[in-house]
Amino acid sequence: MNKEMQIIREVNIQAENFYEDAVQFGNHAAYALTKAHRSQMTGLENIADGAPKVSDILDYIKRQTARFPYWRQVFPGEKPSDEAFGERLKNYLEKELARKRDAVCNVKVLNIGDRTDEDRTLRRHIYLLLIRQFIRQMVAEYEYRVSFEPGKK
Amino acid sequence: MPSLEQLWNVSDDILYPEAEIFMQRLVNEKGIATLPSSQVAGLQNIANTASYRELAHFIRHQRERKWPESKKDIEVFYTELEKWFTAVKNTRLRNEFHLAQEGLSNQEIDELMALLAQDFIQHLVAENGLLAVKRASARMKRR
Repeated sequence: MNKEMQIIREVNIQAENFYEDAVQFGNHAAYALTKAHRSQMTGLENIADGAPKVSDILDYIKRQTARFPYWRQVFPGEKPSDEAFGERLKNYLEKELARKRDAVCNVKVLNIGDRTDEDRTLRRHIYLLLIRQFIRQMVAEYEYRVSFEPGKK
Repeated sequence: MPSLEQLWNVSDDILYPEAEIFMQRLVNEKGIATLPSSQVAGLQNIANTASYRELAHFIRHQRERKWPESKKDIEVFYTELEKWFTAVKNTRLRNEFHLAQEGLSNQEIDELMALLAQDFIQHLVAENGLLAVKRASARMKRR
């Protein structure tokens, strides 16, 4: 199997593991943003899909959190969170998904270090793939949740 | 010149965490105010459109302005920013970021600095906004 196929395989394995977390975030997003701010989710998905750097996605989340009060809503739902949506999402991407990237790059899995430019580029690529998968799953749950919301089409 | 991939790696691995630390140190440790939106807009605009020489000139100009007492924090911000850029240009670009090989012309170094500055300021501005709302919400809670 070539390197890119191996990377996709490992990222998909990690994506299976974080699916439940993405569902929780999707529920939080549905509560905080509601159907009325759906464009925020599509905006985030577009940024994540097109960004060449992880920091572009994190900066976007920071900007939206600073700008819109609904990004700062906590979640009183089934599994409550007293962290604001934007801050919680940023922390998850920065900490949890960075850990998953490290797990994928581990010597026993893909053996990708962090000393050469080539390795750093691969690590960034894997990190971006993980974030994109996570956001895609989260947005799918968000769409599902808000589809039950009454209101304008 | 380094590749875009190399620049992106530096932005993610070094500039982003440093911009967070830079703003958090000023706001949380030194106790200065976050940068007001007029300054944010001006800085971002010049970083996205001007050459590094023009950006450095703008930062120096902002630092040297006679700010009223109520806006002295802005001077502190630009003083620190100028120090950061000077350190990057003089040593870190070559020794730490490994982006400037021997033989790069001054113009090429300025082009590199402009790209790095754009990213660093993007990260600074994002962190600045987040710190500003955190401060405002802490103030609200105290009331």
